[in-house]
This record gives sequence, C-alpha cells and structure tokens, in this order.
Amino acid sequence: MAAYILRRVLQAIPIVIGVAVVAFFIVRLAPGSPVDKFRGGRVSPAVIENIIKLYQLDQPLPNQLWSWITTFPQVWRPDAWGYSFTDGKPVLYDLGNKIPPTLLLMGTSLVLTAIISIPLGILGAVKQYSRSDKVITILATIGYAMPTFWLGFMLRTVFGANLKWFPLFGAQTLGQSGLNVPDLLWHLVLPVTTLTIVAVAGWSRYMRSSMLEVLRQDYVRTARAKGLSNNRVVYRHALRNALIPIVTLFGLSIPALLSGAAVTESVYSWPGLGYLAVDAVRTRDYPIVLAFVMIGAIMVILGNLIADILYAFVDPRIKY
Amino acid sequence: MTSLTPTLSASSNGTLLEVKNLRTHFRTRDGVVKAVDGVSFSIPDGKTLGVVGESGCGKSITALSIMRLIERPGRIVEGEISLSGKNLVTATDEEIRDIRGNAISMIFQEPMTSLNPVFTCGDQIAETVALHAHVSDKEAMERAIEMLDAVGIPDARRRASEYPHQLSGGMRQRVMIAMALSTNPSLLIADEPTTALDVTIQAQILELMKALRDRNKMAIMLITHDLGVVAEMADEIVVMYAGKVVEKSDAITVYERPHHPYSKGLLASIPRLGEHRKRLEVISGVVPNPLNLPEGCLFKRRCPYAMPICDTAPPLQQVAPNQLSRCWLTPDGSAPAVGPDASGDIALDAAAKLSVES
Repeated sequence: MAAYILRRVLQAIPIVIGVAVVAFFIVRLAPGSPVDKFRGGRVSPAVIENIIKLYQLDQPLPNQLWSWITTFPQVWRPDAWGYSFTDGKPVLYDLGNKIPPTLLLMGTSLVLTAIISIPLGILGAVKQYSRSDKVITILATIGYAMPTFWLGFMLRTVFGANLKWFPLFGAQTLGQSGLNVPDLLWHLVLPVTTLTIVAVAGWSRYMRSSMLEVLRQDYVRTARAKGLSNNRVVYRHALRNALIPIVTLFGLSIPALLSGAAVTESVYSWPGLGYLAVDAVRTRDYPIVLAFVMIGAIMVILGNLIADILYAFVDPRIKY
Repeated sequence: MTSLTPTLSASSNGTLLEVKNLRTHFRTRDGVVKAVDGVSFSIPDGKTLGVVGESGCGKSITALSIMRLIERPGRIVEGEISLSGKNLVTATDEEIRDIRGNAISMIFQEPMTSLNPVFTCGDQIAETVALHAHVSDKEAMERAIEMLDAVGIPDARRRASEYPHQLSGGMRQRVMIAMALSTNPSLLIADEPTTALDVTIQAQILELMKALRDRNKMAIMLITHDLGVVAEMADEIVVMYAGKVVEKSDAITVYERPHHPYSKGLLASIPRLGEHRKRLEVISGVVPNPLNLPEGCLFKRRCPYAMPICDTAPPLQQVAPNQLSRCWLTPDGSAPAVGPDASGDIALDAAAKLSVES
C-alpha cells in the first residue's frame, strides 16, 4: 500500500507541472490586465508603468513563468506563491484566511449530503416506483435542474430578506470580533442549504441506481434464500456493495471541499476561497487565480488517490 | 423449525413436499405470462426429483415459487405448496423466512455471482447457521468450517476467511452447497447447480451432492436441462414444457420408454457413448412465445406426431403404471381411439375421460 501511494504521488508530479504551465498561459491569455482598474482615472500613466514594473509584468512571459513555477513549490517561504495584486499581502497568507471558512462550508454540506442522500437513495431503490420513490424522483429532478446561483438568490430573498430568519451575507455579524459559534452556524444555514439541496439531488439518484443494480444481483437472491429478513438483506448484504461506487463520488467531491463553492460563496459573500477566486479573476489578480487553480489541481489528484485507497477498504477484491 | 436437526423429516417415508396445481403468472405490460401453469408433483422424504426442460419452461420459477422468492410482477395466483402438511403459499413472511435456508435450502446456477463479494465465505455460511440454529457467532463459524470440510474444500479453516473472488467456480459452488446444507435441510432445491461449471467439476459436484444426500437423508429437487445430470441422481423425473408438466415418471422409465414426443426429442438430442450417429437429433422450431401460446397442445407446432386433435388440449394420461404423459397418443404410441381428427366437444369429452387431473 505504501509503495502504491508513493508511486501515485510521484506520478502526480508531472501532472501538476503540466497543469501549472497550461494554467499560467490560459490566465495570461485572458484579455485585460491587473492595472486596468487604474486606467482612465486620475492615476498617472507613470504610476501605472511603475506598478507594471513592480510586479514584473513587463518581463517576457517565459521568464515570468519560470520565476513563478520555481518559487511555487517552496511553500515554507511566506512569499512562495507571490503577492496579491489587490491587497499586497502574500498569497499564502490570504489563502490561509480563506481556507477555514470554505472547509467549514463545504465539509458541513458534504456530511449533510451523505446523511440525507444515502437513505433517500436506498428508499427509492427498495420501494422502486412507489409513491415515495416518485416524490423523491420529482424533487431530485427539480433540485438538479435548479441553477445554484438562482437557488441561492431565492433562499436569500425568502428566508433572508423577507422572513429575516437568516442573515443575508457573510460568516459573522458585522462589528463582531473573535469566534462566536452560534452566530457562525446561523450564517452557515443558507449557504449550506443551497449547496446541500443541489448535491443531494445528484447523490440520491446515484445511490438509488447503485442500490437498484445491487438488488438485482444473484447474491441478494442468495441472501433472501437463506431466510434473512428484508432489512438484513438490504442493509447488510446490498448496502455494502451499493456504497462501493459512492466512494468515487466522495473522492470527486474532495476537490470541491476547497474550491467548489465559488458561486454559492459569491451569492452569500461567504469569506471563502471560492469568493476570493471569483474576485481575483475579475481583477486579474494573477497570483491568486493561479494559486486557486493549483489548489484545485492538487485536490483533484488527492481526491482520486483517496478514493482509490478507500476502495481497498470497502471492496475486498481490490488490493494494491 | 429452528434447530439444526431436520424436524420436518420426522414423518419418515411420507410425502415431504407436495405441489398442487401451482400457477405463477407474471403480469407484464404486454399481457400475462403464465410461467408456471397448473404444475403438480410431489417429492417423498429423502428422494430426488429431477425437473427437466428447456430455458423458459418454468422450472426455475417453480423452484422460486416454492421458496416464495417470486418478485414482482410475478405472483403465485393459484395452487398449493405443502411442506410436511404446511401450506407455503399462505404462510406469513416470517414463517417463510424460518423455512428458507432451514427446512428448504436452495443453490443456484451461477456460483460466480451467487456469493456476496464483500463477505468472507465463512461469514456467509455462519450467518445462515447463526440465523436458524440460534448459536453464538463463534459456534456458527466452527460449524461453517466443519461444513466447508464436509464439502471437500481443503484447508477449510483458511478458506473460511477468504473472499469468494479468491475461489474458483467449482469451489464457490461447494461453498454454496456447504451454506445450503449447514442447517441440515430436509429439502435441497438445486437450480442448474452444474450448468456453469466445467465438465470434470460437474461430475465432482454431482458426486458430492449424492454423497451428502445419502448422508443427510434429504430430498433434492434437481432442476436441469441436462438429462445426463438427472440420470445420475434422480428417482423421479418431471419434464416441463411451456409452464406445464408434460411427462412424469420414475427415472428409468423416462429413459427407456419416453412417451411424450418432447421427452423423446430431448433424449434424442443427447449424445451417447458407443452409438454411431452422423449428427445429433434436434427438436425443430422454438419454444412458443409465452404471451401468445397456441390453442390446445403447446408442443404441437414442433411435434412430429401432431394431429388435428392436438388443437384440443391433451389430457395428462396414465401411460404406464408409473408414467403420466400430457399427449393424445395412446400408451403404445398410436393415434387416440377417438380419432386423430376429433375436435370440439368430442375431443374435450375424450380428454376428460383420459385425464388423471381433477
């Protein structure tokens, strides 16, 4: 197992470098520049020239790529990922501030999604075509069809603006300092609900079809022929097998833990990574955008690796 | 029925299982499929019944009906299945679960997919034992290992902790047999137990089943399309076609003097040692569409002896002391006395007189 993990990590290195190169050029190909916001105002062209020089944006692209890619792995240096063009702070520092809120938001949603969608999927499969299955199917289709941003705005309008049950934006009430858990949870409700509704819609369908597939298997008939109760057949014999493909889904959700919620975070101005990234794209804050892309790439690789390792635990047929 | 000892076979030499006029139908969008349509037979204690027929003749559905494992849209619409006097058709779910895997065990055609891939073989056997014998998990596992040993799996203790994918098909079928017999059932239903296995392994599994049958004195319902397999084991044979029993007799008679043209066809289609035939006989035509069965005899379109009278459903008639056949031909194989062209009420009358069915 250890050798397998080591091999996978080594294989990941060229992938990360490839992503870095492609990402660098794509970000630079995008029209506009970080200094656009200064143009046409009262900032003199000389100052703008200075800013360009300061951030070394006048250097040839390959040189810029080289200096970025060679300092990028030196994460022990605070300035390894460069400085944000917007607030002038080291990128690593900005990320350090934004990662905990995103982890909290996405982690809560992921756990809730699993807790809600797996039983719904089982119910839909065990009672296929029943009334409850049909209701779940219809709700899941609606949930899946709703764009996240629209759902976010609707929940915010109804439960935030109209009913005033929940705050409209942010992770804490303005003017507060320090950690206030009830306040934080209160702010968490609407963004988590938005993310969870959309995710449950997909996961429950996936779980249902996985369970249906397993319930058709010969070994389920064998289990029934042994005289086991229906609950034992479903929850012991079928569920263990039906959860195996769900591990893939879980692995694919891991990157989203850090990067996924750009839309939801923007809607609720949640002070997380996704919100930061959307902002950075708008202002062409290259170091932040690149950091975001790289985190995403590393998390995808890590998520796949974690899923593959989990397979070995849930499926005895898989050995590394 | 909760102990390991076969309490059900206490009434020795009696009838263990009696199936009377069983009808299992599947209601589909295109119509009703009468998969099993008026099947009757019985299995005495400790005897082996062979159920023979092509794919789709209803033999597996009959077995699943006995286990009450028919799933929607299938349903037992009529008939009686009694195990030592207890009607399984009307038994509650709880009663049926107590019988499944305990008084009646079943093994299936596909050993490769019939075991759960995420549990060890030992676990899967021990689960049955613990469920029906109410012993501790440890005792159940000991019993599982004992059973694996009994079905000829070498190094049983180690194998018990292995997963199904680590075993070959033949080994897996042995595990299935070990699981089925771990509770000393009085009836073992074996649905094509050797079909998916290599020929050499087939013989081993049949030998094993025979040895265990004699040791445990259990009855077997052996379902197969392979007449060679039933010849090895069966005391009595039921031949099924399109959901009906077409011939029923003791095993020797059906081999020596098959009466029903379908049974004759089946026998002619198996190769025999020491016989010189250029090619094997085949039964021409195909099994009728279950949604569109012909009037009268279901086999008439493929039958070399078909006569106009076959448009009227033939009676299940006694053709020899121990032999029933659902055919118009007289016991000696000639056209019926009422005339091969008889139709309508005359034919119906004749059928009623000849039939042994009430």
